[in-house]
Amino acid sequence: MTSAAADISDGAGDSRLRTVISAIGLAGVGLTAVVVALSDVIARAPAGAVNVGPPSLAPNAQYAFGTDVLGRDVLSETVHALAVTFSSAVLAAAIAIVAGAVAGFAAVRAPLRLGTILRALSGVLGAVPVLLLAVVIVGLTSHDFAPVAAGLAASPAIFNRSFDRAMRLARSRHAEYARATGIPDLTLLRRDLVYELRGNFLNVSGRALASTAIALATLSFLGFGAGPPHRDLGLVIAAARANYFDVWWSALFPALALTLFILFARLAAVLDEGEPP
Amino acid sequence: MWRDWLLRAAQLIGSLAGAVVLASLLATLSQAVHGFWPFASAFSEKILAAIRGDFGRSAVTGAPAMAGVVAVLPLTLQLLVVGAVIALLAGIPLGIFLSASRTLRAAAPLIQIAASTPVFVAALALIWIAVRVLHWSEPSQASALSFASLMRSGDWNTALRAFALPALTVGAAGAASVQLSLRRAVAFAWSAPYRNGLRMMGLGTLDIDVRYALPDVLAALLRDLGEIVLALISAAAVAEWVFHRDGVAVLFLKSAVFGDWNVAAAALFVFAAITLFFDFVSVLASQLIVPEDGP
Repeated sequence: MTSAAADISDGAGDSRLRTVISAIGLAGVGLTAVVVALSDVIARAPAGAVNVGPPSLAPNAQYAFGTDVLGRDVLSETVHALAVTFSSAVLAAAIAIVAGAVAGFAAVRAPLRLGTILRALSGVLGAVPVLLLAVVIVGLTSHDFAPVAAGLAASPAIFNRSFDRAMRLARSRHAEYARATGIPDLTLLRRDLVYELRGNFLNVSGRALASTAIALATLSFLGFGAGPPHRDLGLVIAAARANYFDVWWSALFPALALTLFILFARLAAVLDEGEPP
Repeated sequence: MWRDWLLRAAQLIGSLAGAVVLASLLATLSQAVHGFWPFASAFSEKILAAIRGDFGRSAVTGAPAMAGVVAVLPLTLQLLVVGAVIALLAGIPLGIFLSASRTLRAAAPLIQIAASTPVFVAALALIWIAVRVLHWSEPSQASALSFASLMRSGDWNTALRAFALPALTVGAAGAASVQLSLRRAVAFAWSAPYRNGLRMMGLGTLDIDVRYALPDVLAALLRDLGEIVLALISAAAVAEWVFHRDGVAVLFLKSAVFGDWNVAAAALFVFAAITLFFDFVSVLASQLIVPEDGP
């Protein structure tokens, strides 16, 4: 086989592999959604219920994930916290997609060089870590706004990528021909958005979901996110920290649930060689 | 090329000005100013003061906000520098290894399992291993002194232990970014259209890789430097909190808790300025290697 033929074969193989990885990621996110939807059925105890079992009981047949120092069932707490993290991350990701991806495409077609100004502003916002931007928004508003804060904080990076991609499309040959034949900018924007939705929605939404889930969990861990009784995975891990050298299972299982959720979202987005770090 | 560089320098100045405006906006929003014109007046005053490096005074200590940030900046910079070294030492070999053959490239997404672990989870895991397996003492406020001060006291062991875990946490987060950037660069270089043309001209694979692909990969890695620095800063912010190191990030978080927005604004400006500066340097360095990749 020649080198060129080998390259083509490699490319086809890589493409198949990416499809398989994406399918695994999507299945994982779907499974998480099912667990979240059935959280009240799967969890044997209501959220935050103490003295469900003996305190600090290691994982066993009765309590698969053990119990924490307050006798809370760690499996139930993990499932309830996953539900809070998942629903908040989905809302935050939706905000990030609208304020980032859709706004990025729309800004390119905006009049009076508004798009260029927005891109410059977004470039500055993008130089600040997502977590710190989210902390600022939560600090200026309220902890209840954590999902909105995470979504808005994640949007500059998405906006920048979308804007740059839309700018390349706007300067492409098909766009020049379309403009020359009198097709209005709004129609071109609609066309670009449809193609973007078809080609990159999974990628953008998976990345947004992973990014906002990390931001939300970290916000809660630092004390800027969800508060009791709506404990998310970050807060559950933060609460377990005080005793996790001995009662390690009370931190391990929520941490595994969080990592798996982020992993599935990233795999669904097929984050690989073609993606920025 | 000089014209491009001047343009880039102008962009950096513009971005830094934007960061000043952002920080001033944050400081003004926290004030109880009602009405458009009073707000505009307070905002413009804040901007003019911030341009002179005056971000106001801390609501907690009463000291100049920027002075408070500058005082703890060395602790954060130490963490960032050591983290960056670890990131490069671990990320480059990992990126090259995972790009070496098709089988390894296929296995590369498995690294996502490690990359998907949030920084605070990784930090807690490191502490657990250090305490339960290596029998180190738990990180505390007392152990979060600067590396230099611990070295001066001759306590190398404590110095290494106090610094190793946060630096490893930051380094691991940076390494994930470096290897991803490298793999992306290699993937682009391997699929570059010029490869087939050069092969047909009789050049060997090694020649093509060394003369053409390597500069492309290096330039692409340098272009991502700003994003790698951003990942390092994000990780440092969490690591400082988890390991009780009183750096700029912890100062920022405490300021946000206490509503001390002048200090938070100064810290935010410093972080943005570091990232923007490395963005600028990375573009210049990549243009030096591959000049045609300019704006």
